[in-house]
Amino acid sequence: MLITKLKDENEIRRLAQGKVFAICCHGCKEISFPEAEAEALIATLDLTGRITTDYICQPENLAARLEPYWNDIQAADAVLVFSCGVGVQTVADYLEGKRVYACCDTVPLPGFQGVTPLEHDCAQCGQCYLNLTGGICPITACSKSLVNGQCGGAKDGKCEVDPTMDCGWERICRRLQQLGRSQEMNFPVQIRNWAINENV
Amino acid sequence: MENYTKYQLKPREELLELLKGRDDLFIVACNKCFKEFTAAQEPELEELLELAASQGKTVVGSARVDFLCNKTQTLRSLQVPQEARDVLAVCCGLGVQTLAAELDKSVYAAADSIHYTGHHGMALTKKACEGCGQCYLNLTGGICPVVECSKSLVNGQCGGAKDGKCEVDPSKDCAWEKIQQRLAAQGRLAELKAQPVQLRDWSKNDRDTLKDTAAQIRARRLEGYYGGVHPNEHKEYTEHLPLAAFPEPARVTIPMSMHAGAPAAPIVAVGDHVDMGQKIGESAGFISCCVHASVSGTVVAIEDRPHATRGTCLAVVIENDGKYTVHESVRPVEDPDSLTQDDVVALAREKGIVGMGGAGFPTSVKLKPPKPVDTILLNGCECEPYLTADHRVLLEYPEDVIDGLKLMVRITGARQGIIVIEDNKPDAIALMEEKLAGYEDLRVCVAKTKYPQGAEKMLIKRCLGRQVPSGGLPADVGCVVGNISTTKALADAVKTGMPLIARAVTVTGEHIAKPGNYWVRIGTSTAELIAHCGGITGENVTVKAGGPMMGFVQKELDVPIMKGSNGIIAVDTDRSVAQPCIQCGRCVDVCPMELKPLYFAKFADQENWQGCKDYAIMDCLECRCCEYICSSKIPLVTKIKAGKAAVRGMK
Repeated sequence: MLITKLKDENEIRRLAQGKVFAICCHGCKEISFPEAEAEALIATLDLTGRITTDYICQPENLAARLEPYWNDIQAADAVLVFSCGVGVQTVADYLEGKRVYACCDTVPLPGFQGVTPLEHDCAQCGQCYLNLTGGICPITACSKSLVNGQCGGAKDGKCEVDPTMDCGWERICRRLQQLGRSQEMNFPVQIRNWAINENV
Repeated sequence: MENYTKYQLKPREELLELLKGRDDLFIVACNKCFKEFTAAQEPELEELLELAASQGKTVVGSARVDFLCNKTQTLRSLQVPQEARDVLAVCCGLGVQTLAAELDKSVYAAADSIHYTGHHGMALTKKACEGCGQCYLNLTGGICPVVECSKSLVNGQCGGAKDGKCEVDPSKDCAWEKIQQRLAAQGRLAELKAQPVQLRDWSKNDRDTLKDTAAQIRARRLEGYYGGVHPNEHKEYTEHLPLAAFPEPARVTIPMSMHAGAPAAPIVAVGDHVDMGQKIGESAGFISCCVHASVSGTVVAIEDRPHATRGTCLAVVIENDGKYTVHESVRPVEDPDSLTQDDVVALAREKGIVGMGGAGFPTSVKLKPPKPVDTILLNGCECEPYLTADHRVLLEYPEDVIDGLKLMVRITGARQGIIVIEDNKPDAIALMEEKLAGYEDLRVCVAKTKYPQGAEKMLIKRCLGRQVPSGGLPADVGCVVGNISTTKALADAVKTGMPLIARAVTVTGEHIAKPGNYWVRIGTSTAELIAHCGGITGENVTVKAGGPMMGFVQKELDVPIMKGSNGIIAVDTDRSVAQPCIQCGRCVDVCPMELKPLYFAKFADQENWQGCKDYAIMDCLECRCCEYICSSKIPLVTKIKAGKAAVRGMK
């Protein structure tokens, strides 16, 4: 999942020279969207028009919704898009001859499904280790993504990389003990096969 | 349709290995997400069940679950039998971890998560975004060099492309050639050449910040009650505008049905003179209500007229004589403190008081709950975007609201009265807290803004942590929920004897020239109201009676304002076209009743009404959260209404 944050204001102002048309995408607002900052900034721009809509990553509906604003878009020197990178690319493709600018930077949000990000994360390694580890993921719960046990650097159960984080392997060890499966920790050495992670 | 489904069953050899030494199995399969929503069931569960049987394993049970990683819903519905020893999960890594953390049994993954390059948005398109945290699209004409270039180069081509094709993957066009062509077409090549060297800053993707963000989002999602949404409020158009008297209408059209239940029966005839406050329609059943003249004048017609929510309805049309002669029945109650519960029930019925939040449930019925109650909740949330009528009533008539609340608390024998106000109305919160300072049994509850907080079941859960059972009423958990305007109307009926003949209405929206809040006589034409507010501006306008979420679209504007008309809004017409469901799960995530709206759409299309019933369609509030959040813009509420009507007709 992707969430967005506003780019530096000066950078946006530099892009917004002349008249602009602004597109705000609120499709993922329930997760996160810098709405107040975007609104404050848009209010200071020289606009030919603006639209606040949702899911601009959906090309058919993007086209239908932009249609009434066609003249405003034509009159603009640039189109500013406040959305994730997918939205910007969709608009840029649709308005191919137009300068389309991204006003947000996009980052992936861990543990996402639907609207609520989970406590757990899955790195889609393609070779699930959860059966060895009592259902705690060593790829995402260990800072070093170790798949053969602890690094030995934990202090009082806390990770040496990030002391706010519990050691993933200590958690795994405790969970397996609790389930009466401690002897299963003697699994053979695991080798992460990065080739599995082929693009699909 | 692109398919981003998250998992595939592990290879046979691996599964055989997994089954060794494990028995008394319970197998859970997730119904997958981000794929076309078809009637066919996913095949992996059957495959695994067959494999387990072929190995002589005992399977004590199995389940198919929607959105297994949705912890709240999964834990509510999943029953793992005690005799199960090992749990096998056919789902992505998120689902396995969710189960493993919550069940006291060993949970094993029977599937591997599928990786896809970059992340899609919500719609299932080929466009992807890696989430690099430093968007390069402004330099590249909107073509992403991080995703589209095999080498994720951000400073131009590697030079290895042959005939425009990537040297890493000859099936792909060279991204930098595409970027160059697009910029050339836009006359921006000089811009590209003048670009300083770009460095990719890997620290932009700060893990700690992202973890914190995720934790905050999680907390906010489950605040008070499961689900809900935060649509743009747009209350700034009118929240600061005092209630103004609306110019007197020349004639009023008063529908006999402005409430839930049986329509009132007219008790006047054409040609009759009526006084203001005179009863013109008699309550026609237990769930029904009286109707009164909102002006004095002559009855000029009793006939079917257009109605905001029901097509047409029998209405009494009165020509206003402009004198506002008050009817003799309009007299204050002499000794309000001596009123018994039955007296107030009769008064509410006689004075035509119904729920003014929209549904119009007769207040007389509500004031005599079938079970003992300990709490009266007043809904001052006004969680519908745009509307500010109740907000203004709270600010301008606090005493009336408190008097009405006190009366309700006294006659129902409740222990406490609570006015619930959302935190987007700090002025109303401050005022009511001040006014209630001296009362031990009355208080304000401040709720963080989230739609549909004003729905009575959400309100009760948010304030008291009580869960109204499926198909139940607030009284089942010891509550009565009242509306702000209704409570004021009840106080008016006691203090002045005036029946419900006028109400606060917000006229607003980006297409209303002069938005405002008005006291409007029941029966005034919506078209007159809009005209008084400067008319409708612009094109592509939709007018709704009520708010944008639960309001009714008005094709005909010459419909009367009714007891439940809290607002008239003129907003942009939604031009989107429904796309196929992609099982994104958002409707399930936001449904405050914890239902699965995507199934209602599917079942309604198939006319599978039994399916609708089995998925508890009758529990739906029609709050429209699902439709609002739907990434495919499916008209879910329309389909749900059809489903509910069909289920009501089943026997």
